[in-house]
Amino acid sequence: MMTLVIGGAASGKSEYAERLVLASAYERRIYIATMEPFDGECLARIEKHRRMRAEKRFETVECYTNLASVTVPPDSVVLLECVGNLCANEMYSPHGSGDRAAETILEGAARLKDQCGDMVVVSNEVFAGGSCYEEGTMAYLRRLARVNRMLADLADNVCEVACGIPVYYKGKEPC
Amino acid sequence: MIFLFGPLYSGKRELAMELLRCDAAELARRAVWDVQDLAAKSGDLPALAEELAKYDVVIATEVGGGVVPVSPDERAAREAAGRLNCLLAQRAETVARVFCGISMVLKGELP
Repeated sequence: MMTLVIGGAASGKSEYAERLVLASAYERRIYIATMEPFDGECLARIEKHRRMRAEKRFETVECYTNLASVTVPPDSVVLLECVGNLCANEMYSPHGSGDRAAETILEGAARLKDQCGDMVVVSNEVFAGGSCYEEGTMAYLRRLARVNRMLADLADNVCEVACGIPVYYKGKEPC
Repeated sequence: MIFLFGPLYSGKRELAMELLRCDAAELARRAVWDVQDLAAKSGDLPALAEELAKYDVVIATEVGGGVVPVSPDERAAREAAGRLNCLLAQRAETVARVFCGISMVLKGELP
């Protein structure tokens, strides 16, 4: 079962996604971390998320690009967070797939979905604050929006989290 | 407490007046709005949420749905606003999102 969780800044999407993972029947919890620690703010954010997962017995797998290289056991529940980072990494990192960012992420997600028991994918809502940005930003927004739509198609359940509360657009809460 | 949120100028205060059956003057006493601006200035979001929860209606404009701002201060302000919204939604009996003047109840029920 795959659930896509989308939300804006500090919308409570991470906490909600984690709740879904903890409620899964699969007990081997694998967290796929995608944020490359560039600066202090990244480190603080990584630390915050690490604390949230502390004592919840998550195994952390770091994956900045090429999601398809990650293998997980069949009895696992996977938390992939977050697609916004992964998309930026694929587009801008020297190891990334550049123009094939969307396809690379979708292939990786589909492979993970086939391997694991349950999967929760977190992505970003960054599309409701304006429509006029410089071309580089627009290119990123177009790619991420495409990934979100493709992931929503692949997922069994899709929700947006607003103020910590999920609103389902497809399927239903899996637990 | 009823927590209303939604985009800018989506009809949040009009809905609040309808719910409280009151005029603008009374709304100013019983409700508080633009709490996203208070979040940015607050050093203690749980305490702020507790204080705001004393009003009958609390209203926030959603500001977290855009591109991540380049300025660290703007990023922090947006994070604080989102975090405050989660805290307010937890404390509220009723939570509704207002879109083009139409409300969608996410928690509890509207009076």
